[in-house]
Amino acid sequence: MEWIYDIIRGWAESGLLPSIFQHTFMIRGLLAALLIGPLLGAIGTVVVTKKLSFFTQTIGNAAMSGVAIGLLFGEPVDGTYAGLYGFCLIVALVMTFIKNRARLSNDTIIGVVLAQVLGIGIVLMILVTSQFNIHQVEAILFGSLITLNDTDLISLAAAALGAGILFMLTYNRVMLSSFNPVLSKARGLNPVFLEYLFVTLMTVVVVASLKLIGALLVLVLIVVPAAGAQNVVTNLRQFVWVSMFFATISTTVGLLLSGLVPVPSGAVIVLVSSVLFYGSLLFKAVFVRRE
Amino acid sequence: MSPNSKEGPGPDWVLEVSGLGVTLGRNKILENVNLTVRRGHIHALIGPNGAGKTTLMRSILGGMPHTGTIRFKFYGDGTIGYVPQFLDFDRAVPITVFDFIRLMLQDFPLFLSFKRGKREMIRKILEVTECDHLMDRMMGGLSGGEFRRVLLAQAVHPVPEILLLDEPASNMDEVGTNQFERLLLELRKKHDLSILMVGHDIRRILALCDHVTAINRTVIFDGKPDELRDPGKVAELFGLTTGADDLLGGAA
Repeated sequence: MEWIYDIIRGWAESGLLPSIFQHTFMIRGLLAALLIGPLLGAIGTVVVTKKLSFFTQTIGNAAMSGVAIGLLFGEPVDGTYAGLYGFCLIVALVMTFIKNRARLSNDTIIGVVLAQVLGIGIVLMILVTSQFNIHQVEAILFGSLITLNDTDLISLAAAALGAGILFMLTYNRVMLSSFNPVLSKARGLNPVFLEYLFVTLMTVVVVASLKLIGALLVLVLIVVPAAGAQNVVTNLRQFVWVSMFFATISTTVGLLLSGLVPVPSGAVIVLVSSVLFYGSLLFKAVFVRRE
Repeated sequence: MSPNSKEGPGPDWVLEVSGLGVTLGRNKILENVNLTVRRGHIHALIGPNGAGKTTLMRSILGGMPHTGTIRFKFYGDGTIGYVPQFLDFDRAVPITVFDFIRLMLQDFPLFLSFKRGKREMIRKILEVTECDHLMDRMMGGLSGGEFRRVLLAQAVHPVPEILLLDEPASNMDEVGTNQFERLLLELRKKHDLSILMVGHDIRRILALCDHVTAINRTVIFDGKPDELRDPGKVAELFGLTTGADDLLGGAA
């Protein structure tokens, strides 16, 4: 990893990048921001179309339980990967299963599970508090640039690469089956399988992004750029690109600002994405005529 | 006799449903449903609200666990065309008619392809149902009639061996309905389509179809549309004491 850091540090020293990027933690943050920005932006377009915003939030909440479970099973404090990925994936898949079988509305299932995973998380955390650091919880909720380490970055890169490729391969089919599952079935697709696939890749990306933006704010970074893009685009292709652009600007500019002002990176990233959202709303009001 | 009727001499069929049952929870939605769609026929499926028409359609499309058998007899690649009753999607999603058709025709991610050549191809697909001028309009901004024509355009490309059509109960004006029916008949003539359609406007659908099956959880009538022209018969079938004249649009 060091050679990448050295290159970026070189850019910062020569003035190509702001000088704050001479610090290793900022370089890691920048790499993470560049990896997850486009990915969250692109995934957000499907999340908004499928109306899965609060599903995403549930995954974020489940991360609390995931960390506690990881600790219970003896994972190190700064690397509860099995607990996090394991529990969040289980929650995501079980919710999708219930939704497909129980004929409850998505909204109802989310309401039930959202509360449960938070409750379980808090109980478990209190049970294991004696052996872990409260800052770790804060980092999960709000994101913490400082605790981002090489392992996080590598796991993030692997998740981003895998999810990104899968996303591109299945985008058209997932989009079509979000529109109308029965129609996509008539077209020879398997909408249930596609839903599980999308939920899985989304969960992996959400969990991988947690350290940078935090569980409470990951929803925002998935939904707000896509919502902002909706205000200014006129077709699906623009939707994906503008959403990716908004999300990447949010993560990188947010990161830079959080390096200058001592506040959690996630919160600043959300602020930047909000500014972009209201900006796009204004742009729409001024320049885009209604049909 | 319907002006569009087509007497099929041979017993050639394209879809055969036998002994079909669908149970959701403790509710029997469909029970022992039998019907055969002849090749080249327009086969209407009617019944009161909640009779299980859409459920039957979904079972045929393979989206419903069911008992009994559903068989197709295809001579080609077995393409099924489907026009859903409605698309339940967020109207704010920026998807154009062009995007919508394209999603179905290519696997290569739409947001990564910048070729202009596709436009001509998609224009041709849309021309068939007189909606090529809607290509760059948002799906969410279409009128009921325009929306139906776009859905019909995708359903007949490629030309299907059977076209399944779920008519909307509302949301269509007279002009839109007339245009849709004219296009449907033209397409049927051109490609010798076999069509199974769910209809809500009984008067219109009887004028259009070659064969009609009425269901109310199970088959309650199966025969020629002429036999249903009598309001008394319809009232009996649908369990109505009054209102059959309304159902038939007062045309009987």
